Amino acid sequence: MGRYVLKRIGYMFATLYVVITLTFLSMKLLPGTPFKNANRLSPVQLNQLKHFYGLDQPIPVQYVKYMWNFIHGDMGGSFQFGMQPVSQLLMAKFPVSLDLGFEAIIVGTLLGILLGIVAGLHRGKALDWGTMAVSIFGISIPSFIFAGILQYLFGVQVRWFPVAGWSGFASHVLPVISLAVYVLALVARFMRSEMVEVMSQDYIVTAEAKGLSTSAVVFKHAVRNALIPVITILGPLTAMIITGSLVVEEIFGIPGIGAQFVDSVVTNDYPMIMGTTELYAALFIITMLIVDILYGIIDPRIRLSEGGQS
Amino acid sequence: MAMSNEELTKELFTPADISHAASEKLSSEVVSAWKDAFRRLFRNKGAMISLVILIIIIGMSIIGPMTSKYSADDQSLIRSNLPPKVTALSWLPFLNGKENGVDMYQERGVKQDFWFGTDTLGRDQWTRTWDGTRISLLIALIAALADMFIGVVYGGISGYFGGAIDNVMQRIVEIISGIPYLVWVILLILILQPGLLTITIAILATNWIAMSRIVRGEMLKFKNQEFVLASRTLGAGNGRIIFRHLIPNSLGMIIVNTMFSVPNAIFFEAFLSFIGLGIRDPQASLGSLLSSAYTVLQLHPYQTLYPGLVISLLLICFNILGDGLRDAFDPKLRR
Repeated sequence: MGRYVLKRIGYMFATLYVVITLTFLSMKLLPGTPFKNANRLSPVQLNQLKHFYGLDQPIPVQYVKYMWNFIHGDMGGSFQFGMQPVSQLLMAKFPVSLDLGFEAIIVGTLLGILLGIVAGLHRGKALDWGTMAVSIFGISIPSFIFAGILQYLFGVQVRWFPVAGWSGFASHVLPVISLAVYVLALVARFMRSEMVEVMSQDYIVTAEAKGLSTSAVVFKHAVRNALIPVITILGPLTAMIITGSLVVEEIFGIPGIGAQFVDSVVTNDYPMIMGTTELYAALFIITMLIVDILYGIIDPRIRLSEGGQS
Repeated sequence: MAMSNEELTKELFTPADISHAASEKLSSEVVSAWKDAFRRLFRNKGAMISLVILIIIIGMSIIGPMTSKYSADDQSLIRSNLPPKVTALSWLPFLNGKENGVDMYQERGVKQDFWFGTDTLGRDQWTRTWDGTRISLLIALIAALADMFIGVVYGGISGYFGGAIDNVMQRIVEIISGIPYLVWVILLILILQPGLLTITIAILATNWIAMSRIVRGEMLKFKNQEFVLASRTLGAGNGRIIFRHLIPNSLGMIIVNTMFSVPNAIFFEAFLSFIGLGIRDPQASLGSLLSSAYTVLQLHPYQTLYPGLVISLLLICFNILGDGLRDAFDPKLRR
């Protein structure tokens, strides 16, 4: 197990290194300058600015410098916020996004597991059909449409919740729901098919045959085993939450990284874009690592059958 | 009671006539795997309804923009922000052209109807919505082609040849897929300018990964089976074995996966256009229509309605059809 984890961590750093290098290179290929009024500046002024920000040096030199600073926790200064350190800006906004993402994942996963169990136990009945219909809708309809519908119905029409903002419980409700719907749908779907699969296994028949009550069979034997594979969708879910948070933060005016990122792209704020991209990549890669390790711990067969290979 | 009185004698029985031809006859017609799959698909009500809705949407995206005399970027502030109106159906509250009880068409002196209303610049939402649908469908087609060509060929070669080739090709895939899709697409879009071409390249560059993995798995499953050995004994080359034997055998999986990657691609285009990284004005895309409609959501909610409805229907129908195809091609998975 130790070797396996070490190897995975090694892979993680390699991928991160590739991401950082790729982001750096693509930033260098970008058209346009990061300076707001570039066309009103004289060439001399432009050169001075470029010199000030170190953009006039050869690209390999810039690269080595960037990597060196990166290792020391310095991701450069944001062009649009008067050279405030990117790492500082990200750290200030990241907790908000993390908050939103976690709340959505927790709400969505819990409800999804519950719905999945109910649907799986009532296979082919009305409850099952209803859950699957909800799940198809949840998976299909984009989060920005849900966000819009919720905002209009509950924010504009009935005024139960604030239209935008991020302060206090009431303002969390709508954004969290609009993100959680997808999580709920995906988890419910997955959980249902796992439940159906598990319920037809021999050990469930054995458990029933030895006279256990239905609730004991379902909760002690079926649900526990059905939950294991659900961990694997945590990876894609994280990616989806990141994507979703970009639009949901924008729609509800939440001061998180997602909305910030969209602004950075529009203003050519290179260091900020690089920082956010790297943060997203790291988040995704670390989640994948955790999922793999968790899976190895919970189900030792995975580790053994793979023989340490990825 | 009655039975016990009567003896069962041998004379009561006559031997059935033995006809070899009859015993060889199949009670039902012979059905190939393909026919069977399509029969199952056609019996799936949800999938069939989705198919019909999709065909209607595709048809509308072709003829829709032609039925309006306004093109997607004909602007006029005289007719800005008009609610939808269909004179023949004006008894319906949402098609009477009234906003807050005032007939906006009378007030502005606009004679003709706008079935989906107009946007803040007075552009016909009907034309723009179907124009945007065209883009979504085009993206769907591109995604499907990327899957079919790049994904299948890459996975096929990697799985079939194995060894060092497979190793190198899989490491490349690992690096590509280790980085979130979103990051790839955004980096690509930053280097090139936002637009249809960029989205196309982004989809071509990243969409085939899942497919290549599935095809590789199928190749590994099939390549050591007897029919491949037989074909090789008869002198078939690698290309013939891959394209004539192995890929047709995994075609079911390929079709099903293509159907699932299509809604993802449609969503991604709409998403990118929504955050301003995709199709930009004056070109219309369902995503960009929605994003500009959201700015006036509180005042003119109908502008959000139709683009939102069309994209939701597209995605729901593709997903249900995908589910139906999966059940049809692989009944083992149906639970």
